[in-house]
Amino acid sequence: MSSTAIRRTYGAVSALVLAFILLPLVVIVWVSFFANRILAFPASGYTLDWYARALATDSFRDGFVTSVETALFATAASLLIGIPASLGLVRGRFPGRDAIQTLLLAPMVVPGIVGGAALFIAYIEVEARLDLQIAGTLGGLLVAHTLIALPWTIRLVTASLASADRAIEEAAASLGASPLTVLRRVTLPAIRPGIVAAALFSFVISFIDLEKSIFLVGPGRTTLQIALVNYLEWSLDGTVAAVAAVQILIVGAALLISDRYARLSQVF
Amino acid sequence: MATLTRSEIIGPAEAHPARIRSPAGIGGVLPASLLVLVALVGPLALMFRYSFNRFVPGELMVEGLTLANYVKFLQDAFYRDVLLTTLWVAGLSTLICLVLGFPVAYALVRQVSPRWKSRLLILVILPLLMGNAVRTAAWMVILGDKGLLATLVAATGLAPPKLMYTPTAVVIGLVSVTLPFMIVTLQSVLEGIDRTLEDAAESLGAGHLTVLRRVVLPLALPGLLAGTLLCFILSMNAYATPVLIGGPQFHMMAPEVYQQVAKAMNWPFGAALAFVLMAVTLVLTTAANVLVQRRYRRWSE
Repeated sequence: MSSTAIRRTYGAVSALVLAFILLPLVVIVWVSFFANRILAFPASGYTLDWYARALATDSFRDGFVTSVETALFATAASLLIGIPASLGLVRGRFPGRDAIQTLLLAPMVVPGIVGGAALFIAYIEVEARLDLQIAGTLGGLLVAHTLIALPWTIRLVTASLASADRAIEEAAASLGASPLTVLRRVTLPAIRPGIVAAALFSFVISFIDLEKSIFLVGPGRTTLQIALVNYLEWSLDGTVAAVAAVQILIVGAALLISDRYARLSQVF
Repeated sequence: MATLTRSEIIGPAEAHPARIRSPAGIGGVLPASLLVLVALVGPLALMFRYSFNRFVPGELMVEGLTLANYVKFLQDAFYRDVLLTTLWVAGLSTLICLVLGFPVAYALVRQVSPRWKSRLLILVILPLLMGNAVRTAAWMVILGDKGLLATLVAATGLAPPKLMYTPTAVVIGLVSVTLPFMIVTLQSVLEGIDRTLEDAAESLGAGHLTVLRRVVLPLALPGLLAGTLLCFILSMNAYATPVLIGGPQFHMMAPEVYQQVAKAMNWPFGAALAFVLMAVTLVLTTAANVLVQRRYRRWSE
């Protein structure tokens, strides 16, 4: 094969594969504008009615609010404990550091369904002993989502710390800055891009989580993903498509912004 | 290969005598470690213990130390089939991801300008973060009986294929979930391979396929393995795809774990299912790791 033929083959295969990956995304946004009452092709016309319907559907509206609240909390909490942990992992020197790194990244490795089942069982056991409601409450959900977001925060922040220039910190220290001043005035500003990317990423990862949340939601407290799955078990119409389109818009925006701050391809 | 010492990897700062003390040493990792211990490790240990308990309908669970739940799994043809289905569906999806993912990753690294590369990478990562519920809904729209594919095929005069609620649909859905992971993993490994090695092989008369087989694949082996294992683990544990596009007659392990733990409230058996799933995945991925590492070492010598 000539080198142009090779290039063309790669180009064609890649285009087809990319089209396959993007197809679901494009189709769901497209059908969210269909005027057909029962979802079918081709479109009988185009309308924004489904968006109004989605907004008027209680489970989607409440689910969206719960998901945003949960994701915001999980983001804040995972930054609050993830940044010190990343500093400890990259800058600290103590025995068992590798083991702790493995531990902290474990929530990413343990399958969502298995981790969710275990957490659900643990919640009910604690409830029985302390006479306290946890499963199905916002508190129970927040703990789980902080756990989901934590390893992604640590990955992004440690990557950012590892590439920050250590010499500047040392210079500040040798000029008399206290460790806390060095942290506040040198280290944190240097890793700000990593922190921004970590925050956006944690938000998205928490927002789209399905497998862990499915064990932990309760009546009247459902995340958007669970509301979508419950709806899909009975019907498939433009309402779901409209919700999906909004979600794709939010995730896409978060992704584009965080891409300016960190090289996302290295996060996975 | 000579092994590097720690200070060689980390750099001269390590050996610097006036090393500044970071306020976040072991104290920094404590809160995060505590969360993972309390919300993940502890619950997993508890669930493992429960997998040896007995289940008595009506009174939930009875303390015990029995292998009955694991024996039930092995003896019940239904659950053996569930595991086998999970294995072949995950295996097939992974294989397809490998075959489709490599050309894309290679093209991204070798044939695209840096500017386009980062744009295309975003297009690969975006579907990855659209969420399983949304992605599955989209596949239902495409593969359903009155869906996009059926309409397109019918327009050509052929009989539309019945895909919804078939294993084929599940494999298609799973491939679309895991393929972006494969592409991103392979891309980052191929990025580290020196292009001049390929050019050298080519200038010595090797055809492109020979270059791939003799130069690129051996060097990319760790990445191929990492991508393959990631796709396999994700497929083994898939939940939304088998439930929604596999339909009620199609069973994979993760939905069964949910069914037993949250619906049937049979915690001992649900726990046993979860640990069978984890153990099978762990054994297979470790075996693959060992086999490939051995191969890689032989090639790199």
